[in-house]
Amino acid sequence: MTATKAWGAGIILLAGLVLLALSVGAGVFGWGEGGSWAQLRLPRVLAALAAGLALGIGGAAQQGVFRNPLADPGLTGVFGGALFGIAVLLGLSPESAWQRAWFIPAAAFAGALGTSTLLALIGSGGSSARLLLTGLGLNAFTAAGTLVIASRSGESRELLTNGAYGDWLGMATLELAWLPTLLCMLAALLLLPLARSLDLLSFGEDAARGFGGDVGRTRRQAVLLTALAAAAATCLVGQVAFIGLLAPHLARAMVGPRHAKVLPLSALLGAILLLGADTIGRGVWSQAPLSAAAVTAVLGAPLFIWIARRNHE
Amino acid sequence: MSETVIRALGLGVEINGRRLIDGVSLAAERGQVVAVVGPNGAGKTTLLRALAGLLPTVGELEVGGYDPRVIDPATCARTRAYCAQKPLSAWDYRVSDLGEIVGDPLGYADWLAKLHLGAFADRRLSELSGGEQKGAHLAMTFAALTEPFGSALILDEPAAALDLGRQESVRQAILAFAHAGAACIVATHDLEFARLCDSVVVLAEGRLLATGQPAAALTPGIIAEAWGAATGR
Repeated sequence: MTATKAWGAGIILLAGLVLLALSVGAGVFGWGEGGSWAQLRLPRVLAALAAGLALGIGGAAQQGVFRNPLADPGLTGVFGGALFGIAVLLGLSPESAWQRAWFIPAAAFAGALGTSTLLALIGSGGSSARLLLTGLGLNAFTAAGTLVIASRSGESRELLTNGAYGDWLGMATLELAWLPTLLCMLAALLLLPLARSLDLLSFGEDAARGFGGDVGRTRRQAVLLTALAAAAATCLVGQVAFIGLLAPHLARAMVGPRHAKVLPLSALLGAILLLGADTIGRGVWSQAPLSAAAVTAVLGAPLFIWIARRNHE
Repeated sequence: MSETVIRALGLGVEINGRRLIDGVSLAAERGQVVAVVGPNGAGKTTLLRALAGLLPTVGELEVGGYDPRVIDPATCARTRAYCAQKPLSAWDYRVSDLGEIVGDPLGYADWLAKLHLGAFADRRLSELSGGEQKGAHLAMTFAALTEPFGSALILDEPAAALDLGRQESVRQAILAFAHAGAACIVATHDLEFARLCDSVVVLAEGRLLATGQPAAALTPGIIAEAWGAATGR
């Protein structure tokens, strides 16, 4: 498939999805008379779009920098770190956490950057096994930490549990979502210029440096920006697996592995996948809506197995 | 600019407490082809990586006018090109993508054609044989060195996996770069090729065993010492 066709199809699909998402689920959101679509559905759609594009491009960048098709901020513990950061803030001072718009995003970023840095220090330079085992460890640690804090803080308990299940999109209001939405877009924009460095890095560190690539700087930028993307997306949705994994794989299958094409297309596909999952979750069972993360997992698992098979061949 | 393009003085490499290269000094001037020979494990690859500035080293080093260990990578790459023995790629690029990644699609296509790989431009790397993949990476390396005069071309066993026709093409390419004013350092097991070079560096167990013109450096005695030590004779 050519890049033009992939983009054309993707943009038409996304436009259709946005219209559908804005029109679906009136009954579900009938919270009183004041609730109009502009106040309830628009923020949710914007949040899903922003988080989806950050998840897609973040996954592509992480796969690029680790030179590993299985790297995904969900599997490598970076989302776990972001949620843990939020949990620590809520556990320490549940009242002041909401006083400034940037408190929660900053806590998520600190947590994500922590796990992202540990992952780069411990998990890189080796095999898939090393990367994923490090991610498994980080995931287990941050999940346990989040659970401990959630179980001890009465008021934040439900909030954190919903976050762990990727069920925060429903809370999106413009007031809560504007900053993480902007940060998602900022991270995506800043990741785009890394395309050539990530291409060079795919030939190994020696070759990348031989061709003039600054491996250390590329790695630092990728670690920082994937942490920012993951943190901002987590603030909007909670933890969502698979999108960071699926979007880059689909993008590579469509337009080949050049990062100049894969990074932006992964962002588009991530937005389509997350908004699609959220809309399905709200629309199919409108009495008991499913979280975007649940739909992604149900639809993503078979694709994940397909990737595993494809990689083995 | 002086005639000397590559100059190493007392170069040493230590990894995990093991001294892989110990006090190696060598020089390569504009237009020269220098062969680095020695038995398996002598440190040829390590020496080439050190010269390319890809390893932490002790000693003095100047390559293409800069110390590659301190200069920024982009500037360094303008006067120094390096091709590893076994290039790899994490993603399955098309052969033609490599030219865009290296930033000179036309020059790359030209080198592809010279290495008899022009017909493979639309294929994926995974569809190529090992030797053909190596050829594509060599074309990428050659295309990266847009200004050969006074530059360093560092190649680790460039011909090892190639068929006879492509071996000859690579040899011609090396000579063309030397003719254009580059200094070429080539690690090789091919002593016939080494004898045709301007200078030979014989490595054994990370140390310089002999260096100089082929006739002086590749005597039967030195060959026996270098390769005999490795085989335990």
